Amino acid sequence: MDFAFLSVVELGRLLREKKTTAAELAVYFLDRLERIGPRYNAVVTVTRERALAEAAQADREIHQGIGRGPLHGVPYGVKDLIATKDYPTTWGAEPYRQQKLDTDATVVERLGAAGAVLVAKLAMVELAGGMGYNQPNASFTGPGKTPWNPGYWSGGSSSGPGAAVAAGLVPFAIGSETSGSILTPAAYCGVTGLRPTYGLVSRHGAMALAWTMDKLGPLGRSAEDCGIVLEVIAGPDSKDASSVARGFRPHPLTPSPFGRGGTRWKIGIPKGADKDIQPEVAANFRAALKVLGDRLDIVEDVELPDLPYGAVAGLIIAAEGASAFDDLLKDGRLSQLTAPEDRTGGYPALAVSAPDYLRALRVRRPMQRALDEFLKKFDALAAPTRNTVATPLDKSFRDGWPGVTGGANVIGPTNVVGVPGVSVPNGFGVQGLPTGLSFTARAFDEAKLVTLARLYQSRTDWHTRRPAID
Amino acid sequence: MEISRREFAERLALVAAAPWFLEDLKPAQQQQAQEPMALAKTLAEAIRLRYPDRFSADDLTAITRSIDGRLRAIERLYQTTLTNADEPDFVYSVYRGAD
Repeated sequence: MDFAFLSVVELGRLLREKKTTAAELAVYFLDRLERIGPRYNAVVTVTRERALAEAAQADREIHQGIGRGPLHGVPYGVKDLIATKDYPTTWGAEPYRQQKLDTDATVVERLGAAGAVLVAKLAMVELAGGMGYNQPNASFTGPGKTPWNPGYWSGGSSSGPGAAVAAGLVPFAIGSETSGSILTPAAYCGVTGLRPTYGLVSRHGAMALAWTMDKLGPLGRSAEDCGIVLEVIAGPDSKDASSVARGFRPHPLTPSPFGRGGTRWKIGIPKGADKDIQPEVAANFRAALKVLGDRLDIVEDVELPDLPYGAVAGLIIAAEGASAFDDLLKDGRLSQLTAPEDRTGGYPALAVSAPDYLRALRVRRPMQRALDEFLKKFDALAAPTRNTVATPLDKSFRDGWPGVTGGANVIGPTNVVGVPGVSVPNGFGVQGLPTGLSFTARAFDEAKLVTLARLYQSRTDWHTRRPAID
Repeated sequence: MEISRREFAERLALVAAAPWFLEDLKPAQQQQAQEPMALAKTLAEAIRLRYPDRFSADDLTAITRSIDGRLRAIERLYQTTLTNADEPDFVYSVYRGAD
């Protein structure tokens, strides 16, 4: 049977109906990871022994009638900044290539408790991009390649999770986002990515880039799948002081509990969102809104509060990143990184003053309030996830698509304050590359985002398209 | 789409945080980037003194430009009104272990 592009929901049904076994699924995806993964530089380590052991346990439990939920027996991968026992956790960076951490991250523990089967540690941009990379070749595994056209980038920094889901190497994966690292690969690889609210998912066991901005979240075949995964990994964790006493519960698609004025959603479109961006990206964005037209009340040209999001994000990531990797800065091992610009990119942060960093943290409080008051007016903001399709592998980000200068910056401000976002595939642009549609909402409104994204995916089939691989 | 000088500084700051935002910048605007401030040059020199054997001239140029971009963006931070009572968005908690 061809399992490669089945959803978590479909795989779970096959397992419960005993039409397959966890062991069969594990072997199937392990083989694909080993055979196809290298084409896209998507995999760091295939966790074969662990996968087979976890799958055998899942099969025993299923045989005994023990059910652990919708992920029981379903394979998955994690970005290689998430700690797992017995296998290296490399952070995508040469200095940590042999690093072994004798612990499972909380997300891995929770997925294990739900019966999911870890099959791979997936590639990523070195140190999650914290040293300032400016082109795709920034990992010891090589540049991540989108399965839709391997001459183009898979996005970063969760490049492996994006490519692996898109290529049918894993049904879902866990990525991380400090400022765009889930939504960007989701868009460039044509998969669904969900960035949770800061603190909803424990960061324990995940590499820190910026303690006050890092989030872990799922990439999968659909918003429904991402919601299922988020329900398992969300929740408070005594090992992560920033985790919050909330969980996540998806809402049924019909009837939707959301939508102002009955069944209609009030959607804000940021000013300039589809202006001076790649024409296909703009056209796909408007077509997506049209698909949902009978359910949306659209407010055009809304403007985010005029606040220094970039300065705050820049200072926080620079200062916290320089502190998180102060050993690399001190002993000079930054020189071992793959991207030439990363070898010096951490040093400018040494010039950030403590008062400036603290000023950024102080400004972020009124920034949070202002953005929440703004987001409160809408069920969600909608925008193209990125203003272009994926960057060519041999070009810098600056030179990848010259002349494209527009779009609205939603990813930056919303990451600074830690509110959630989702990206769903909404068509294709130049070179057969996918485009993404993003929705953003208030803190802890993931259920609203998942429902809205599911509504879109119930009316379109972009999320079921497959790249030509086999 | 034309962007203001202030927005340009904002985007420069985002570049420092997340370089993929660089694609939002017009090449012409990048070429118009000013000569680095004296403060940026001095701070870069301080980093060179800290690690005297690590950097080439090109490295130092890149470090100086990065510092310069951040310094220009920081100016906006101080245009946001704060009072003495506005604390950073983290809370220190005192610790007492088991008796």
